Amino acid sequence: MSDNYSADVVVVGTGVVGCTVAEHALDAGLSVLMLEAGPRVERWQIVENFRNLPPSLKANWDAAYPPKPWAPHLETYTDASAAEYLQLEGPDALAYRQGYVRYAGGATWHWAGICWRLTPEDMKLKSLYGVGRDWAFDYNTLEPYYTRAEYALGVSGPSDPALQWPPMRSKPYPMGQLPFGPGEQRFTDVAAKIGLHNLPAAQARNSGVSYNGRPACCGNNNCFPVCPIGAKYDAATTLPRIEAKGGVILANAVVYRVETGSKNAVQAVHFFDQDKVSHRVTGKVFVIACNGIETPKILLMSKNEKNSNGVANSSDQVGRNMMDQPKISAQITMAEPLWTGVGPVQSSSIMNTSQGDFRNVHTGALFRMENAARSRVGGLAALKKGLVGKALDAEIRRLSACTATLTIEHELIPLPYNRLTLSAKKDWLGLNKPNIYYDVSDYVRRSTATYTLPILKQLMAGLGTTDSQINNFYTHSDHIMGGCIMGTDPSTSVVDADCRAHDHDNLFLPGGGAMTTGGSGNSTLTMVALAMKASDAIVSQLKAG
Amino acid sequence: MTLRTRCLAIAFSLLILSGIPAVCHAGDANGIDTASVQRGAYIATASDCTACHTAQGGLPFAGGMAISSPVGNIYSSNITPSVSAGIGAYTEAEFARAIRKGIRKDGANLYPAMPYTSYRTLSDDDVSDLYAYFMHGVAPVDLKPQQTSLPFPMNIRLSMKVWNLLFLDSGTFAADPSHTADWNRGAYLVAGAAHCSTCHTPRGFLMQELADRGFTGAQVGAWYAPNITSDPLSGIGTWNQAGLVQYLQTGSLAGNARAAGSMGEAVEHSFRYLSAADINAIATYIHAIPPVRDPGDAASRFSYGQPSSAVVTLRGQNGVRSDDDSAPSGAELFQGNCASCHGAFGQGSKDGYYPSLFHNSATGLANPNNLIAVILNGVDRTSAIGQAYMPGFGGHPSDMNQLSDAEIAALSNYVLSQFGRSGIVVSSNDVAQERLGGPSSPLILLARVGMGLAVFVVLLCAILFSFWYRSRQNTGRLKIS
Repeated sequence: MSDNYSADVVVVGTGVVGCTVAEHALDAGLSVLMLEAGPRVERWQIVENFRNLPPSLKANWDAAYPPKPWAPHLETYTDASAAEYLQLEGPDALAYRQGYVRYAGGATWHWAGICWRLTPEDMKLKSLYGVGRDWAFDYNTLEPYYTRAEYALGVSGPSDPALQWPPMRSKPYPMGQLPFGPGEQRFTDVAAKIGLHNLPAAQARNSGVSYNGRPACCGNNNCFPVCPIGAKYDAATTLPRIEAKGGVILANAVVYRVETGSKNAVQAVHFFDQDKVSHRVTGKVFVIACNGIETPKILLMSKNEKNSNGVANSSDQVGRNMMDQPKISAQITMAEPLWTGVGPVQSSSIMNTSQGDFRNVHTGALFRMENAARSRVGGLAALKKGLVGKALDAEIRRLSACTATLTIEHELIPLPYNRLTLSAKKDWLGLNKPNIYYDVSDYVRRSTATYTLPILKQLMAGLGTTDSQINNFYTHSDHIMGGCIMGTDPSTSVVDADCRAHDHDNLFLPGGGAMTTGGSGNSTLTMVALAMKASDAIVSQLKAG
Repeated sequence: MTLRTRCLAIAFSLLILSGIPAVCHAGDANGIDTASVQRGAYIATASDCTACHTAQGGLPFAGGMAISSPVGNIYSSNITPSVSAGIGAYTEAEFARAIRKGIRKDGANLYPAMPYTSYRTLSDDDVSDLYAYFMHGVAPVDLKPQQTSLPFPMNIRLSMKVWNLLFLDSGTFAADPSHTADWNRGAYLVAGAAHCSTCHTPRGFLMQELADRGFTGAQVGAWYAPNITSDPLSGIGTWNQAGLVQYLQTGSLAGNARAAGSMGEAVEHSFRYLSAADINAIATYIHAIPPVRDPGDAASRFSYGQPSSAVVTLRGQNGVRSDDDSAPSGAELFQGNCASCHGAFGQGSKDGYYPSLFHNSATGLANPNNLIAVILNGVDRTSAIGQAYMPGFGGHPSDMNQLSDAEIAALSNYVLSQFGRSGIVVSSNDVAQERLGGPSSPLILLARVGMGLAVFVVLLCAILFSFWYRSRQNTGRLKIS
């Protein structure tokens, strides 16, 4: 307990949110200490981990990131290994097998880089459609933070407002859009014939030029599980910059308790190192940003006399309202070649299907053709057929060209029963594993039955599908949201409009957990925008003394 | 003083150039010769003044850029027309004296990081235009840059008077009627504005250019400016005129060489803005430099290597690399750090954006410093054909991977044996030295070890050397009247 760990701003988690806050605080002249549960490794090691995997494991995005015993995360090698850390229950339990890595740099190591914004309507579900919740502020309040987030990450996107989502922007994207590959162009043309608009995705990936020292995308089509060259933003690229600005990063430091003191302010966090030795870290402001599962877990583990439900949890909302975009996928085979795989693994989506007055009855969704190269899938399938020689080559080529995955990602509204609690099961350090109850709700199931599956089938027909397999269960999108939900009323929400805990003046919980609703698009850009907004509040709070 | 005399931001010059009509319109009434200002802007571009006098992220020509030299960092001065911080109080004669003789307004000597030994050949008209540009085409900046503070005895600027006496020729450029006008224009530009010899001519013990070995290659900070004589093995004798012009304009000649370091900056900030006639004149002159061969060269540096890969030796061996703390092999480092752009076989990309690692001067030189320097520092060069960018791997905050000296040595040796000139071996110490900015001069050792004694040694050597040097000056050098 004699450690001298202390800083103006103590940031738990080195993912995109923690790094955004850390860099902002350093730029404002504050001292920053970052605590990362997992190890810190070089990019090339992960690249080689991935390339050394057998083809059957290459689609398991966590396989290239073996967890340390003290920082477990989901491992999907087998069903048994997948059940090891995340404890899941409820009718859609398996749809909450959320992938994230407890490594320095966090889950952006293996994100797709997609940077959709919420729409103004996505932020007013309650008042417009009578479902879910309204945000504490409107789109216009968030817009400047979205723009700052796009410039911080380096987002490429279309300059034509007709191709932007939503087309309400104060500044152009910092870079122009990446060109479509043949598969995406074809999907766009097919969608247009049935009145749907497949938009080029805004993405944190460099198009044609370097950005913040990161090189231009050269189409390795390897965004999952790691961009081998750093053309896609990931928080790992910011770690050396944070250190150059004076930030201190401690890896293998597993925070397990938040300590409160007078006036219920947070006065320290405690972490175990890899030798199970506990350390105490003091500071002026504390930021817990270790994703939508680990953050509520730490808060719940930190209950004390004054905070008997856990830290920041007088509302009993910590760990509730867990969200994601429940996903339905279709594997299709077509008569004609589509040739996915040119460019990033995702680069476009149909977005306007997420909006509409139907939202008072069922949810909306986005539709996407996955642009990952099919050679691995095609190769494995062709080998299974026992082919050899030229016949094998021809079949690999056919299956690589003429197959595709289509995806529906449904919006899920905040529901209190979708809840993270502490499991009685303990991990290597003796800390509770997270337990999550998950039910995507009839609001989503109605959408699938009456709205999204019919659209999917139209798209499949348009593509000339000869054979298809549509999953009859939901899967996860890895967009973990809602567990520290934002709101104006301290009795029904965890954090205020600046992601500050209602219960603790100097505790900030920015990121996916704070999101009031999730929309149909990927959550990261909104998380970073919230981190920007929280950063402003942190800096002004500390500057004011 | 090894010179990193080429750098940043001609874009600024262009901006200023495009803004000149407005400046001049106002200026006409004040008697400013706008045509002269415009010509001066071009000469400033050709001379790449901005390379050293505009710091990264700094205001145009406000100085403060650290120029690494074997005897320590030299900080460039503010050459905006600010009276308090720049050269606003210089008369044209004082300006000309600084450009050509390396003497400040106050009479103190400049270090030859300022290539006045080259600029002295600029014509009176060009110097006059340059003066007009810096007085009327550049915005004054009242910021004083960091002062240069070299270790003893180099901190005694007076010592430069001795140096100048020994090594600064007098006289200006005189055309050689036995050559074409094109060749003569090239000779004028190469000797003066472009100051090619500043980097490409080796330097002696006292950092003076060794004229008898002109253009045969020299170390420039971390980078090696190779032999550019017309020798087909050691130089660029295998390049044709169009190839050299393309290289100067874009920094890229596929299957041969790419410009990085100081040369990349020269392309980005200077050569790409020169007129086609001037670039062709430079190429004409460079092509006519008599061949000088290094006896150690058995083949052209552009000819070494072939596509190959050791990837099959890796796969299926070590499933998880990130848990392995043992020293990685060069093959592993290559696959994880390089192959995603340069290809598993080092073949580069079909469009030539990513160079092949064989048939590449960085892997074909006997001196491996450019290979080490490019791995450490990367490439960032913009020309008319766009940006060529490679991140460094040497521990800069923006690098995508941070490799140790031992790892870069292992990687370099893999690349050299797989794609380049075999038999060249890089050690961790070589990388450490390159990481610090290149070899340092023995002068500094003398200064630090011997102090007073060293001064005597240096001066004695200087005097002895001067006799030898004067007696050796020969026809290999550009004729100067």
